[in-house]
Amino acid sequence: MLEVRERKMSLPEKPPETSKEEWLQKLESMHVQRSDMNRLIMNYLVTEGFKEAAEKFEEESGLSPPIDLSSMDNRIQIRQAIQNGRTHDATLLVNQLHPELLDNDRYLYFHLQQLHLIELIREGKVEEAVHFAQSQLSESGESEPGILRELERTLALLAFEDPNRSPFADLLDVRHRHKVASEVNTAILKTEHEESTQAKLYSVVKIILWAEEELSKKKVRFPRLTDIAGGQVESPK
Amino acid sequence: MASSSQEMSENFCEVKSDFKERLKTLYPMVNEEETPLPKSWSPKDKFNYIGLSNGNLRVHYKDLLTCSKMESEGLRSYAVVAAGHGKTHKDAASVRATHPIPAACGLYYFEVKIVSKGRDGYMGIGLSAQGVNMNRLPGWDKHSYGYHGDDGHSFCSSGTGLPYGPTFTTGDVIGCGVNLIDNTCFYTKNGHNLGVAFTDLPGNLYPTVGLQTPGEVVDANFGQAPFVFDVEDMMKELRARTKLTIENFPIPDSYGEHQLILQRLVSSYLVHHGYCSTAEAFASSTGQEFNEEITSIKNRQKILKLILAGRMGEAIDLTWRLYPGLLESRPNLLFLLKCRQFIEMVNGSDIDNNTRHIAAHTSVIQSTKPYRNVAEINGISKSKDETLGGNDKNTCNGLQNGYISDDLAKCCDLESGIREVCGGSRHAIQRMLDFGRELYNYSQQLFHENGSHEQNKKMLQDAFSLLAYANPWDSPVGWQLDPIQRETVCAQLNSAILDSSNMARRPPLEIAVSHAKELIQLMSRSGLGSCAFANVDDIMN
Repeated sequence: MLEVRERKMSLPEKPPETSKEEWLQKLESMHVQRSDMNRLIMNYLVTEGFKEAAEKFEEESGLSPPIDLSSMDNRIQIRQAIQNGRTHDATLLVNQLHPELLDNDRYLYFHLQQLHLIELIREGKVEEAVHFAQSQLSESGESEPGILRELERTLALLAFEDPNRSPFADLLDVRHRHKVASEVNTAILKTEHEESTQAKLYSVVKIILWAEEELSKKKVRFPRLTDIAGGQVESPK
Repeated sequence: MASSSQEMSENFCEVKSDFKERLKTLYPMVNEEETPLPKSWSPKDKFNYIGLSNGNLRVHYKDLLTCSKMESEGLRSYAVVAAGHGKTHKDAASVRATHPIPAACGLYYFEVKIVSKGRDGYMGIGLSAQGVNMNRLPGWDKHSYGYHGDDGHSFCSSGTGLPYGPTFTTGDVIGCGVNLIDNTCFYTKNGHNLGVAFTDLPGNLYPTVGLQTPGEVVDANFGQAPFVFDVEDMMKELRARTKLTIENFPIPDSYGEHQLILQRLVSSYLVHHGYCSTAEAFASSTGQEFNEEITSIKNRQKILKLILAGRMGEAIDLTWRLYPGLLESRPNLLFLLKCRQFIEMVNGSDIDNNTRHIAAHTSVIQSTKPYRNVAEINGISKSKDETLGGNDKNTCNGLQNGYISDDLAKCCDLESGIREVCGGSRHAIQRMLDFGRELYNYSQQLFHENGSHEQNKKMLQDAFSLLAYANPWDSPVGWQLDPIQRETVCAQLNSAILDSSNMARRPPLEIAVSHAKELIQLMSRSGLGSCAFANVDDIMN
């Protein structure tokens, strides 16, 4: 009594493509817990060094911060110095707090120096800028091609009458200061704690990027979150 | 007799729920409605020399006796000649599990105990695709893989084996693990990992065992009992590895200003939920601008705070005042709010403003009150039934006399100081019942105006069911009283307010988190094993 079966090799099937509308509906019906989201926010404020916001958030959400907020003071001073363009002060503060940090991380040191150069250019101190670049920066540019390229980009600002309208204007944007401030902040956290120092919010962004890539590799079509900050989902392509 | 059989069935239930629990822990990302896990051998997908018993977990090679019985039952005679001899490869017989291994397991594992090696011990343990010939041992054919007891060889879709591990025999426990991320397979013997046996496995393979000589008997464990091998440890390692892959995932250049993206996610969330001073502080230290007026945030925050405190009546009043027209044009939302108000009244959180102070004082002291109150509810709701007419029977019919007296008996056993319906105040109970009637009328009105609405009907039924219990907190519908349910109400009202003022219904941060979760689900449906180790909640916490 042999059982007759269809000799068919089963292959993994692809799920049917989800339309943007169906996807949005799924997102809509998924309840995310407020307490989870609040923890995510608090974690971000604390790791990124937004002390005042963290204090207000503690008041408003009733969530206590995971660390003593006063321990954030040094990091905040440094962040503020960088954000206000006082790179020299920032460098001194970092050296006071962790004397070996900038010695060990050449790239980080370069970014602070570069920011100083940018501030000189912003203020129109051309001669000072060139002198600073030649005396302080060219050496580190020789050893690292990446640094050299960035240095060239920065000095190129001098070639334009109005650097704000040059292709390198992004360097003059205040957002560039924020970028360096975050970078320094992360580096300090890393030396103070051995474990993960990134805000969990980064992981949320990364898990989206990772999952979207894994799915694309498998040739699955799905709606993508093309604009994370705006919450915009785009139809499958 | 009765008690022992009851005990047995209780034991059975316990074993069953242990099994379920274990599978849930091992394979949290598997949606069993879409891809059921293998739980036993399939009585349909086997060669006829194979016999199954013990809930289709035990596999034996049918001997001559069984076969003569088959003959007497008029079954085809060549089976009698072949079965029971186990002389050649033609006597080999296999069985597959009921379902293929879902990729969403990430790492799948099952064990087989050799109960008896029978005459020659030609047992093969492994995997095969649907449709592979069952008159064979696992490993001999295309899309079939096996580890054999007599020589310890591994067979990778081939009649010729390769030396792999030790031989195995009576008393040994052989485990078979499938890594669905890199599509490899390993075996264990008595809890020791023997290393990778196969690579490049195709998807949708079934656990498979094959036997060839009389007397061979094996028992499978698909998670019914704890495994001999520590598979959780391996899972932990894979989880850590996946987490690292995600954390080190490079943010592409198109996300150049990712710091800025995060800042916008944070500030839009703060504004959306009305964390006003935080939003201000955050904006001033990041140089961002507000899109919404501070007063508007403050107003929303006031309402949401009331909801989160359970003070629904006040929240609804304030909404009417601050956003006239909002609730009129959204009757279902208003119904949801009122249902919640009813629940909060039962909870004792929504109290008449005038009695707020008094109620707070009396609630704890009078421990004898709730029993009387329940009787009172009983009386009132009966008369309510009468007035409401026939079609409402199942909304509040849980209050039959026998039922209540049962609950009363239970109630009396409890210590005093338990939570009381409506905080134990007689006045509050009266208010709740009046409100319940009003709520019912409103539901009827909605029904006449807009027709049947399943969600509203269910909501009302659930809310009214709370009255059927002396201790509603400890009842099947008690989840409604959990303060966490307030969040959903908050989110819906908040979205409606933002919607009416042309703002996003949900903050992008919540969309991003939902999107991430949905992507992982999609990975699970698409057969991507790594989803098993990428739990969004784990990564956030």
